[in-house]
Amino acid sequence: MDLDSPSLSSSGLESRADRREFLKRLAVLAGSSALIAELPWWSPLRVAPVAEAAADRVRLGLVGVGTRGNLHISHLLNTPGVEIAALCDDYDPHLQAGLARVKGAKGFSDFRRMLEMPDLDGVLIATPLHQHARMCLDAFSADKHVFCEKSLAYTIEECQAIADAHRGSKRVFQIGHQRMFSPAFLQALELVRNGAIGQITQIRAYWHRNGNWRNPVPDPSLERRLNWRLYREYSCGLMTELASHHMQVANWFLGAHPVACTGYGSINYWKDGREVYDNVNLIYRYANGTHAIYDSLISNKFYGMEVQVMGPKGTIEAEAGRLYAETPPPAPGIVQLINSLEHGFFDTVPIGGPSWVPDLKRDAKGTAITHEKSTDDGTAISLAAFANAIRLGVPIEGMMEQACRSGVSVLMGQAAMEQQREIAWPEGFRI
Amino acid sequence: MNEIVIPMRRIVQELQIFAGCVLAALLVNVYSILRFNTGWMELLTTLHITLALACVFFALVALIRCVAFWGRLALRRKAG
Repeated sequence: MDLDSPSLSSSGLESRADRREFLKRLAVLAGSSALIAELPWWSPLRVAPVAEAAADRVRLGLVGVGTRGNLHISHLLNTPGVEIAALCDDYDPHLQAGLARVKGAKGFSDFRRMLEMPDLDGVLIATPLHQHARMCLDAFSADKHVFCEKSLAYTIEECQAIADAHRGSKRVFQIGHQRMFSPAFLQALELVRNGAIGQITQIRAYWHRNGNWRNPVPDPSLERRLNWRLYREYSCGLMTELASHHMQVANWFLGAHPVACTGYGSINYWKDGREVYDNVNLIYRYANGTHAIYDSLISNKFYGMEVQVMGPKGTIEAEAGRLYAETPPPAPGIVQLINSLEHGFFDTVPIGGPSWVPDLKRDAKGTAITHEKSTDDGTAISLAAFANAIRLGVPIEGMMEQACRSGVSVLMGQAAMEQQREIAWPEGFRI
Repeated sequence: MNEIVIPMRRIVQELQIFAGCVLAALLVNVYSILRFNTGWMELLTTLHITLALACVFFALVALIRCVAFWGRLALRRKAG
């Protein structure tokens, strides 16, 4: 299957009808792809979306109607066969704004009350990190399917508890790592599998922003509640909120979890009372000797964000969707001839030049691995997969493994920085 | 205003010269494929470069013809 087919381009997902058509095409393509057949979380997408009959509809409850929760509402309103039956948030302005967008949804301020709705099929958890574990466990206890935003949990013990609760359960669990559903990342993975860069020898990822990472707060008493990402009591900051995405990709592409991690973090610029680092630098070691190097800062955005998958034959920049071959194919003969004539005419003859050439970055443009710029980063597809999995009643294999590997990886990183020592993968961790 | 009439004979002559330039550019392409050991498919894939090169050759030939024309004109004036 051509993963770069226009059929897989998600441009035009603006309406429910567009998305229905898109998912129909996706079902056909997903059924014929050898690569996708290896990715169990794509299996629900082999089934085309059902009709809009009430009996076929998947009824979901969303907890956490903040920035991410609102994005989920936008996607779910356009996802065929899905009904947002309930919204829950303990911050009333967010809840009311959400209810104004979703007509007919019930509003809750207590998550456990929402779980008591008998006709609710599943829940989407888009709350601050420290609440993920309790809500996942409560939802499993209430026999609901769970879509949990990344990162999985606030502590390694909580990750283990979620994995234990899900093991043997027939409930669908999905983690909000949308790159698992991104056509650009699938294309990158296919290139890796086809040997385009050779063996992966290093993965380098970074996420740089320039801003204080704060939400506006209407009243100082709400500071910790609305800017929870900045406080250690609720979050691990850049690690759990950003790094978890790229660590998921690194673990996925390497097909393993890191065995150890070391690194440093500090608050060197935004000294405004926050408790989480504003810059982090980490090295993850894998069993085969490969390293994943990650850094993030919020005081410079020149390099933006990227995941660079490197091998002896080339580099893939998955976010930009480009492949840079180490030895690019030679230019056509006629171009080489013109270039050589040009050099013969215009080049100066070196008499005493440098005896070495500096290893500066090559000014290579590379080749695009996807032809069309997608309007979706995989979130729309991932929500459709979740809804289809619930409808089919089949748990998504491999999803908890991805969630735990990335969730534990970033918590290892946080511990390594805080304790200033190497942290090993937790012995005995069972997925 | 004078009406300029280009006779058919002249048009055919110019087309023949341009065809010669295209042929020369193709031969250069063949030479570069052999010299740099690239693929024969380039005869098609680099056709745009070949045509551009043909235009350059045509311009060079036109320049040479102009110089020759002015030279002949100067000699004729000197003799006459």
